[in-house]
Amino acid sequence: MAEQCFRMKGTTLTSIVLDILNFEPDEFDKQLTAKVASAPQFFTRSSLILQLNTAISATEFELLVALCKKHQLQPMAVKGQVGELRTTINDLGLSDISQSKSTDSALPAGDNDAPAPAAAPANNGVAKVIDRPVRSGQQVYAQGGDLIIVAPVSEGAEILADGNIHVYGTMRGRALAGVKGDTQARIFCQQMEAELLSIAGRFVMQDTIQTQCWKQSAQAYLEEDALVVSALV
Amino acid sequence: MAKIIVVTSGKGGVGKTTSSAAIGTGLALQGHKTVVVDFDVGLRNLDLIMGCERRVVYDFVNVINKEASLNQALIKDKRTPGLFILPASQTRDKDALTMEGVQAVLNDLSKDFDYIICDSPAGIEQGAQMALYFADEAIVVTNPEVSSVRDSDRILGILQSKSMRAEQGKNVKEHLLLTRYNPHRVATAEMLSVADVEEILAVPLLGVIPESEAVLKASNQGSPVILDQESTAGQAYNDAVRRLLGEKVEHRFLEAQKKGFFKRLLGGK
Ligand SMILES: Nc1ncnc2c1ncn2[C@@H]1O[C@H](COP(=O)(O)OP(=O)(O)OP(=O)(O)O)[C@@H](O)[C@H]1O
Ligand SMILES: [Mg+2]
Repeated sequence: MAEQCFRMKGTTLTSIVLDILNFEPDEFDKQLTAKVASAPQFFTRSSLILQLNTAISATEFELLVALCKKHQLQPMAVKGQVGELRTTINDLGLSDISQSKSTDSALPAGDNDAPAPAAAPANNGVAKVIDRPVRSGQQVYAQGGDLIIVAPVSEGAEILADGNIHVYGTMRGRALAGVKGDTQARIFCQQMEAELLSIAGRFVMQDTIQTQCWKQSAQAYLEEDALVVSALV
Repeated sequence: MAKIIVVTSGKGGVGKTTSSAAIGTGLALQGHKTVVVDFDVGLRNLDLIMGCERRVVYDFVNVINKEASLNQALIKDKRTPGLFILPASQTRDKDALTMEGVQAVLNDLSKDFDYIICDSPAGIEQGAQMALYFADEAIVVTNPEVSSVRDSDRILGILQSKSMRAEQGKNVKEHLLLTRYNPHRVATAEMLSVADVEEILAVPLLGVIPESEAVLKASNQGSPVILDQESTAGQAYNDAVRRLLGEKVEHRFLEAQKKGFFKRLLGGK
């Protein structure tokens, strides 16, 4: 009897949605360059969903995808005004998800162009507890609740939660709390050496964290839309 | 049922093959029937370090392709009783190993041996993933430098997510083997210390193998360095094998030796 070749599973993943408000190639390239430069580590090789809020032609769409790739962003799916573009989307190996359901949150912030976050989802009160190290290249997501990690998180690892994040161990990776827009979410770390901290789309990078409470017990939270990192005493 | 142990690292050239040969030999010396399997298809280093390159007729890929039986391909070590080598092919590429083929060979070996040591190729791609997929335990070989530690972290992540045991919701037991350790260069902060590496990787320490000229000498002679019990590296590998078998053995060769010979003989730090 032949051995089973595959298994199908469902998964939820968090990705960046790029809202295309109007597409003028040169201007788009310029703005994207600036955005990526603001947080290169955050955006590099991120997978991307393109949300077309304006009708564009097939040629423009191909250009749009090419420009994203030029900035190391990896479009994987398209939604919004997909209309005539179905064949082009197919030919480029992307998926048309204009019919699928999804919840968006605001990102990126740290500047003023981000729209207000979508309404905070209900916290289901169930925490996900991880007691093994989260290694470089791994990603852990606590959907609908808090994430508690009783082990170190390596550089190059990513942990995400709809609710709060607690790390009892050295935190060297990226932590994103309130990923569905919960501005009340916080991040607590026993030893803060994070690459990136993000709450409801607002984020700070390592160079900023280093000047604040590096290698100390610390928490991160939003105060009037700005992400604050402070030592826990 | 044999215990399958992969020797892996992510980064190349850190001492996987040297360690596979030494630890395989050490286990056999302790009376456990052991086979060391070379997964580095296309390079074939293990047989050189074990000094049996002239006796290779058939290899791992031949067995997978059913061009030879396992018994035809296995090489019995001339020095150490109970030690065997399954060499890699020099003429094929990495794709020559198939998951089903590897599984069948490991299953067969499992019936006869106590330990199967899998010498992994470098990298985190398919070849390395194949070598670790069936492992019960992993020896992660790391040099005391940032890039090596980072790659080890990567391979540990793969081990706990993409191995067969991980897919079954079980753990793969992890061991950290720090090799090419040079206390003098740690003292001058050119290298990470044992404590640094342990802290970053959070994996129990199996051993620290000092940088030693005896390693190169041993591999030129085709005789695993563990057989040279005069050398610090040989002694450190011997300690590591005893720890692997569950003994409590204190770590040695961690400090730069300034204290002189007698102090060392009398013990103490
Ligand atoms: N403790 C040591 N002291 C000095 N030299 C060492 C030590 N360990 C390994 N080496 C040297 O490092 C080199 C690489 O060793 P080895 O072939 O075992 O690494 P590897 O991880 O198997 O490499 P690859 O990734 O290419 O398979 C060899 O020249 C070996 O002699
Ligand atoms: Mg090797």
